Amino acid sequence: MRKSRAVSKWLVATGVCLGVAVEFCSQPAFAHHSFAMYDSGKQITIEGVVKEVQWTNPHVWIEVMVPNAAGGQDEWSVECTSVNFMIRRGFSKHTVKPGDRISVSLSPLKDGSHGGSFKGINSLNGAPLKLEPQD
Amino acid sequence: MGVLQPLAVVCASLGLLPVALPAAPKQAAAPLTSTHADPAQPDISGLWVVTGAMQYSPDHSVPKLQGEYLALYEKRTQAFKAGIAVDDTTAECLPAGLPHLLIVPYPFEILQTPGRVTFLYEYDSAVRRVPLGVAVPPEVDPDSASYNGDSYGHWEGDTLVIETVNLRGDTQLDFTGIPHSDALRITEHLRRKDATTLEDQITLTDPKAYAEPFTITRLYRTRPKWKISEYVCEENNRNKPDAQGHTRTGVAEKGKAE
Repeated sequence: MRKSRAVSKWLVATGVCLGVAVEFCSQPAFAHHSFAMYDSGKQITIEGVVKEVQWTNPHVWIEVMVPNAAGGQDEWSVECTSVNFMIRRGFSKHTVKPGDRISVSLSPLKDGSHGGSFKGINSLNGAPLKLEPQD
Repeated sequence: MGVLQPLAVVCASLGLLPVALPAAPKQAAAPLTSTHADPAQPDISGLWVVTGAMQYSPDHSVPKLQGEYLALYEKRTQAFKAGIAVDDTTAECLPAGLPHLLIVPYPFEILQTPGRVTFLYEYDSAVRRVPLGVAVPPEVDPDSASYNGDSYGHWEGDTLVIETVNLRGDTQLDFTGIPHSDALRITEHLRRKDATTLEDQITLTDPKAYAEPFTITRLYRTRPKWKISEYVCEENNRNKPDAQGHTRTGVAEKGKAE
């Protein structure tokens, strides 16, 4: 269900690798908090059914129920950016709804718990998601 | 007028008023959309958003830190590598403060009125008032230090020079945790580079924390179709630091509906 994709480039500040992927900078996914918790050099994909969407500041959250190897389900918490950022990327409050089948890419949490920083939606209910970012 | 007009209509219809009806009042003028209301100032008004890296410096360089501030930064970067965010005050929804506010990737609007330039930021819904032609006081009251400090501006040709003093010492330059002290002074040289680009040359002078002044240049792009929206960090902050001061991941607890 999960596949990893290595991101080779790392940003270096004062000789210390801070683990922030280059693509973060080309398309900022700004958080009001530090990115320390994320493995930003890594990107994984999860697939499941949307349990809840919290269309709120400082971050929008998408809760996804993902089947696990034990035959049960894990709840994954996908942390997006702020409402304003999501709107400018072309999302609305109703783009993703509870019950939707979703494939979403994220930078996983370093501690291995079920969550990550939102990178993008690969498909929604079996179709690619087309968004019109604001100019 | 509103009462007299129907009366005039009645009178006219009865042939009692052999004069032409006054023309309908003109539609009210469109609301003023320009935020440049001081012809004496070069125009830097409008809605802008920073370009480039989310690190304070576009090339990710850091000031020449010294003493306890160098130790503090090393502690933070070590924790960062271990996946732990410490001293992460913005995770508590406290303001980013200056100079961090100058590089957050949220738009801000510049208003120019006589004697003042005003910055309206989307992030933190912060406001920065910059009076023009007012000298920086020789001494500031440390008890009144604030997140955005006190700013004083003046024009040098096409460049707005802003000095900011009286800043708190507990904010960071960016999300990587670069510290500064309460002795920080920020000097900005802000000018419209071209029709769609604003340039800010920012110098940080901090004799306590930095061995020498640190200068960067940031560019901002105009976004005329955007609007500043509300941003209330306290609405649903799942990342508030825990008792150890570590920023929470915000992951939903097992079996608990968030």
